[in-house]
Amino acid sequence: MKIKTNTTSRVRDKKFREKERMCYLLLSPQIIGFLVFSIIPMLWAISLSWTYYDTIKTRFVGWENFLLLFHDSNYWRAVVTTLQFAVMKIPVELPLALILAVLLSRKIKGAGFYRAVYYLPHVISTALVALVFSNIFSFFGVFNALMQKTGLMSIPVDWFAEKMSAMWIIVIADIWKTFGVNVLYFIAALANIPEDVYESARLDGATRLQTFFRITLPMIAPTLQIIIMLSLIGTLGTSEMVLVLTNGAPGGLTYTVNAYIFNNYAPGITNGTVNVGYGCAMSLVTGLMLSVITLGYMKMSSGVKEVY
Amino acid sequence: MLKQEKISNLLAHVVLLAVLLITIFPLLYTVMASFKTNAEILSNPAAIFPVKPTFQNYIDAWNSDVLDIKRMLFNSTYYTVIIVFATLFSTSAGGYVFARGEFRGKSFWFAAFSLLMFFSMGSVTIYPTLKILNFLHVPKSLPGLMITKIFGVSIVNIYLVRSYVYSLPKGIEEAAEIDGCSFVGIFFRIVLPLLKPIMATIGVLAFQGSWNDYLMPMIYTLGDPKQRPLIVGVIALSKSGESAASYNLVFAGTTLALLPVLIAYCIGNKYFVSGLAAGAVKG
Repeated sequence: MKIKTNTTSRVRDKKFREKERMCYLLLSPQIIGFLVFSIIPMLWAISLSWTYYDTIKTRFVGWENFLLLFHDSNYWRAVVTTLQFAVMKIPVELPLALILAVLLSRKIKGAGFYRAVYYLPHVISTALVALVFSNIFSFFGVFNALMQKTGLMSIPVDWFAEKMSAMWIIVIADIWKTFGVNVLYFIAALANIPEDVYESARLDGATRLQTFFRITLPMIAPTLQIIIMLSLIGTLGTSEMVLVLTNGAPGGLTYTVNAYIFNNYAPGITNGTVNVGYGCAMSLVTGLMLSVITLGYMKMSSGVKEVY
Repeated sequence: MLKQEKISNLLAHVVLLAVLLITIFPLLYTVMASFKTNAEILSNPAAIFPVKPTFQNYIDAWNSDVLDIKRMLFNSTYYTVIIVFATLFSTSAGGYVFARGEFRGKSFWFAAFSLLMFFSMGSVTIYPTLKILNFLHVPKSLPGLMITKIFGVSIVNIYLVRSYVYSLPKGIEEAAEIDGCSFVGIFFRIVLPLLKPIMATIGVLAFQGSWNDYLMPMIYTLGDPKQRPLIVGVIALSKSGESAASYNLVFAGTTLALLPVLIAYCIGNKYFVSGLAAGAVKG
């Protein structure tokens, strides 16, 4: 900020200083909070990555934690599970949301009502969604009972006994919670396509499918890119849903990275002493990987913007 | 042509309705189960509607020892109300300062706050945070967590307020300045009253976020179940050994925990949706 130094500078200076003081006064709660409850804990936790720390004594260990982490099969299994989770969820959720958005974008009766109900699950607590779905899919739950009643299954299935079925339950619950947001995003994107493009396609004799793939999809590509990114960030960071719905069942196989770290290193959750420093190293590596994936995706997909 | 249109519209309705039913089913089932007796829930899980609807679960929950509903409702309420008001104040002030303020370090602080969105150390930061709270003589407790939230930076909300302040005409503020109103005075007397629409959005999002909060309050109240908010208590009961004997209480508690947000959504639907961009970024 440049301060003028001519003859009136003393008055201006004083006024500027006063305004500056007031700015800092209004901002002070957040600056304090930012330093005390965001930055310091973050840097502190990062610095613990090079130590052995069991909440009582701290000992510097160099790169040992990172070397151990490299060979930690449990951790890497959680990483793979997280990626699996994203691969299972996004290709189901986004096409579903897009189809619904296309249907709702036509002049259809009750579109506003459908939209409002689809968005409803998103306002509900993730923990409660997980609880509700764990009740529905429990061994004696309503899903098994209904399936038996309608004759689709002869015996009840323990959905949480195998990794894949448990993963699908998590995916279903998560899609149920978030698809409405993507429907709204897609509706907004579709509304931005000018009507005359469709008209000229119709005059040229394009079929519905052709119109969709040649016009609609390229026209919403920039929005699609953002939606995929948000979906990716949300999916890779999942922890609460997994912690409440399966808590790793069966045998810790369904832990995503963040759920795994939480379950093993959050204070009061683990029994006995753990090396928190190791947990910090794990969080640091995970945080960096997530940042790299997000930034990398942003960079990679920026070309999509120039499709049309 | 017209007939074809009609058929395709009908098909569209069929798909939309099917998804609508799937969306409603889990909620409907949970709310309905809260009016069933425990025996009915366990013996006839395929039934969705209760045979003889009963309010007994709510009465039991109200007087229950395993699920101290009264206490937890109170905890959830004060936790939510205080955080909502703190968020409203800090984000409106922050957005105003970043939009209209002139001070050295403005772009530095804005960039620093924004950077928080791109990197997170996750749950392990609880250890240092607890140490800092301890240093400030604040015990690990629900109020302790509230302090970290009250002073927390919600950059997405600041973005929302900032762009809203940009859209306000500058003339009114300049007139007030000439009349001798200070920077802070302009904020309280002129800008804040104009921020009502965006404040409603942020208030609704903060309400939703803090009422629905689970992992952090769970950690901070581990030592003292009396401080648990409602959702933490309901999940704790569902995971405890007694859960099979008190399915009905879990369902009643879940319904009670769902209700405030559902009612708010029915009334202020548009505020939830207008904060969509904000909610999505926060994950």
